[in-house]
Amino acid sequence: MLQFFSQTIWLIPCYALIGAIFAIPWSPGLIRRTGPRPSGYINILMTFVALVHSIFALVEVRQTGTQFFSFNWLDAASLQINFEMIASPVTVGALILIAGLNFLAQIYAVGYLEMDWGWARFYSLMALFEAGMCALVLCNSLFFSYVILEILTLGTYLLIGFWFNQSLVVTGARDAFLTKRVGDLILLMGVVALLPLAKTWNFQELAIWANTVELDPRLATLLTLALIAGPLAKCAQFPLHLWLDEAMEGPMPATILRNTVVVSTGAWVLIRLEPVIALSSFTINTALWIGGVTAVGASLIAIAQIDIKRILSYSTSAFMGLIFITVGIGEPQIAFSLLLTYAVAMALIIMSLGGIILNNISQDVTQYGALWSRRPVSALCFLVGVGSLVALPPLGDFWGLAELSNTLNGPFLGILLLVNGAIAFSMARVWGLMFTGDPTPMTQRSPEGLWALVLPMTGLAGIALHLPLILSQLNLLPEFPLLTETPVLLLTASTLIGGSAGLVIYWNRNRKGAVTLGSQALQDFFAYDFYTAKLYKLTIVFAVDIISQIIYWIDRFIVDGVVNLVGLITVFSGQTIRYNTSGQTQFYVLSIILGIALLGITLCYPFFDQLNFVLN
Amino acid sequence: MLTTLLLLPLIGALIVAVLPAGWTAGRIRQVTGSFALLSFLWSIYLLTQFDLSNGGFQFTEYLAWAEPIGLSYSLGVDGLSLPLLVLSALLTWIAVYTTGKNVERPRLYYALFLLVNSGVAGALMANNLLLFVLFYELELIPFYLLIGIWGGQKRGYASTKFLLYTAVSGLLVLAAFLGMTFLSESNTFDYNTITTEGLNLRTQLILLSFLLVGFGIKIPLVPLHTWMPDAYVEASPATAILLGGILAKLGTYGLVRFGLQLFSDTWNLVAPGLAVIGTVSVIYGALSAIAQKDIKRMVAYSSIGHMGYILVAAAAGTDLSVLGSVAQMISHGLILALLFFLVGIVEQKAGTRDLNVLNGLMNPIRGLPLTSALLIAAGMASAGIPGLVGFAAEFIVFQGSFATFPIPTLICIIASGLTAVYFVILLNRTCFGKLDNERAYYPTVNWGERTPALILAGIIFFLGLQPNWLVRWIQPTTDQLVAHLTPVQTEQVAVVSQPKAEGRGQMAEGRLNIPPLTGKSKKPGFSPN
Repeated sequence: MLQFFSQTIWLIPCYALIGAIFAIPWSPGLIRRTGPRPSGYINILMTFVALVHSIFALVEVRQTGTQFFSFNWLDAASLQINFEMIASPVTVGALILIAGLNFLAQIYAVGYLEMDWGWARFYSLMALFEAGMCALVLCNSLFFSYVILEILTLGTYLLIGFWFNQSLVVTGARDAFLTKRVGDLILLMGVVALLPLAKTWNFQELAIWANTVELDPRLATLLTLALIAGPLAKCAQFPLHLWLDEAMEGPMPATILRNTVVVSTGAWVLIRLEPVIALSSFTINTALWIGGVTAVGASLIAIAQIDIKRILSYSTSAFMGLIFITVGIGEPQIAFSLLLTYAVAMALIIMSLGGIILNNISQDVTQYGALWSRRPVSALCFLVGVGSLVALPPLGDFWGLAELSNTLNGPFLGILLLVNGAIAFSMARVWGLMFTGDPTPMTQRSPEGLWALVLPMTGLAGIALHLPLILSQLNLLPEFPLLTETPVLLLTASTLIGGSAGLVIYWNRNRKGAVTLGSQALQDFFAYDFYTAKLYKLTIVFAVDIISQIIYWIDRFIVDGVVNLVGLITVFSGQTIRYNTSGQTQFYVLSIILGIALLGITLCYPFFDQLNFVLN
Repeated sequence: MLTTLLLLPLIGALIVAVLPAGWTAGRIRQVTGSFALLSFLWSIYLLTQFDLSNGGFQFTEYLAWAEPIGLSYSLGVDGLSLPLLVLSALLTWIAVYTTGKNVERPRLYYALFLLVNSGVAGALMANNLLLFVLFYELELIPFYLLIGIWGGQKRGYASTKFLLYTAVSGLLVLAAFLGMTFLSESNTFDYNTITTEGLNLRTQLILLSFLLVGFGIKIPLVPLHTWMPDAYVEASPATAILLGGILAKLGTYGLVRFGLQLFSDTWNLVAPGLAVIGTVSVIYGALSAIAQKDIKRMVAYSSIGHMGYILVAAAAGTDLSVLGSVAQMISHGLILALLFFLVGIVEQKAGTRDLNVLNGLMNPIRGLPLTSALLIAAGMASAGIPGLVGFAAEFIVFQGSFATFPIPTLICIIASGLTAVYFVILLNRTCFGKLDNERAYYPTVNWGERTPALILAGIIFFLGLQPNWLVRWIQPTTDQLVAHLTPVQTEQVAVVSQPKAEGRGQMAEGRLNIPPLTGKSKKPGFSPN
């Protein structure tokens, strides 16, 4: 009996899938009598079942130790692909996080999408995400990690495109799909190329292989670069970061999931691949620097945004950059702990701001003000979320970031301090602009939301506050002496400096000429995301477009043109030759003689040499 | 056993042709549909009876027909032809129900459908070269009429182009077959007596290139493809399903059956060239599709790209890649049929195929929600999203070909990204966006029109999730084919992987001893206890 929940752990992704399938009948036009709501309730129930199951499984797995499962998926010629699963305390813990966050996000959606007609579609897709992420966490094979990442890419496309009537939504969905797909396909190249070398896709066996193999350095570099491309796109790192920003056009409850756990799937795969990636120091350095550049760049861009959702999306990219650094220096344990604390903190921030966006309509921070007195619950939750997001003792992320700071040195420690300070600054800016100051036309009335919005938010705030206790239960908190090391103190100081600078500048600002920092050009450079969108438009998009036009032109006028020309010549010569049929016998005789002569010459051609001989 | 598959549709065609004049097109469709369904069920029955341990021809039938010229009525199926046979029976049935109930001259129309089915079945089952050519050529007449009579505006041009191209294809194939038989001094055209081993290399290469060009037209490969977009676009959706789903497969079938199997010694010489042509086709098809404004033409060009994968995989000649190439034939047939079906519905209901005009079909009340949902599924299947049959087949192709042709394979993977580009363009323009009020209120799609699409989508999902059912029947034969093949000279890309000696022992100890996911942790962390 002790084994029951961990033995049946493969059911956890299935619960969500069952929910997704059951939601389909409530699509528009099938069941009309009840309205679309039952689809949501079914999915919330299934997620709750998954949550309970994974909690019991965690208890069991912590007692029995790691377990492995395997199902055959494809048995073709020399290739045998098994769906391999691993149930370890870390993976089951991740299941709880995913199911828990999805549970809260789905309840939140009951309030957020109250008047929407697309419930069945929305909840099916959320369930698809839950199933995909749970399967990804459980799966122990690189191949299936790729498969699930790709399915989630499709899910992202559909979920962002949820409100498909709006043109920005459509382009956002398109860009997200294509950007992630680029990463996925490069990952696929790596997956395909890895098998002949390593003979396995199992993560543990890959780790052993990577420890013992000696690869040609160039090959190792190419291979590992291909492998990090998938996580790169998923985690919205430079230069594939643009999609996360545009993805913000999707509904807010989906954002809760996407900006916390969905982007983390990339980091998860990266962590599992770390032993293989370590084959090439060039790739490790690339990962470190991409993470570093993204973290610094995105956290600065976030400060320059006026759209709340964009601030959140760039903060997400920035934090994922820190995770890349963590994995790059070979600290998967810290990365796991950071992913957990980060997910809770970011989800809380999104929930608190999402409720405000919902009934105050605007996403523009400059349109807000004086919400503190009107929405104290949201404000408190926002504060708890921000406190957990930055390195502020004793809340969530502090512990992970503190450990990270102790292992970093040189430029990366600087990056960490800068990014932490910048995130603190931008969150303080949001606080100052939205919650303090004078009321604006947009905030004259701003009541707290429906219970379905407030309940998950306050519940999550409670979890966030208790997170350090949970971490200590799991033995994840660092030793106390570590906390007095210089980097940790610097880290805490960076939070305080960044935060207070933000508060000084933005608290009670009376409306509201924009704060200028440096020249306008510099500010625009950050505000428009380093002009990445334009850059893409002018390079890749333009190139593909023009090349495809040229190819199609060649197809129509050259390849097909030659064929049509042959046809035309045939028809034309036929038309011309018919005038030769004059009806005169002499003419026919002439043509017969000419024909025979031609035939004779052709037949005798091989003997012409001898003819020469005879003549001589 | 096999003759039934040939005769059933043939008799059906005769009966349908002489049905009383008073019968409505709907009733005639019922009759045709039941014949098509019967032959589909029969082919399923053959699947269940097929001996999976035997890679050679099964259910063989032999009847001496015209012995002096070496023509015999000799039938048999193996793992290469049987899945295609089932596919063609299924698609014929689907195609019958794709046609609207008010088609003109229904008796001729439906009789031609059954003739097509009979002809394709004959070509796939033939065990005699002349018999194959007979059916291969016979095919053209019903298709010519189907395009020429029930086609779109430029049907005359399209059908003539189709006829000329494919007639040339048939001639080249016939020439190659005659050459093979006469030069190898065989007195019959039966498959089992033909061997090219005695021929010198140059003769073999010449004969093989005849075959390659002949089947290359049918597949079609760049640059022999220009009949294809015209024919697909001008044909009615039902005919397009048959053209793309079945007829093109005769080309790839011929390539594997007669090219790879009969020229197993010379195949490795032409393989690198074929891989390049295949890769070019893939890229060319995808890029041309991006430039299209007509959704049907876009789907037609996508088909060129997907046929390229089959060629690359067949050229690579590893057990996995040849298996993949046959699997890709099946998967492409299913997906293309679904795409043409849905495009047909969109055209019929919305009255246009123009990307610049269509918009917002996902709209739940006034649009075509289910059709759009299925279109998304079909597009994604074609773009190779896992969980759908397209990925299963393409992945086997990629993994199989990589061993022989790493660079072309990687280019093909990139091209599958381009596939995603044009399908996203297609989906964003047609399904997403705001429904135009001027054009809204489309006629509803009734369940009769939805069912074929749902069946195809169901199969696409099922085979994508359970790919073992896709490769099950194919594998014995492809294993056998590849065993006789001279391996292709691989362009070694520094595949230097030498596990150190001490590493081997560790590997053998198995994976359970390895602590999972603990990494380089310095503290107890998530310890198992």
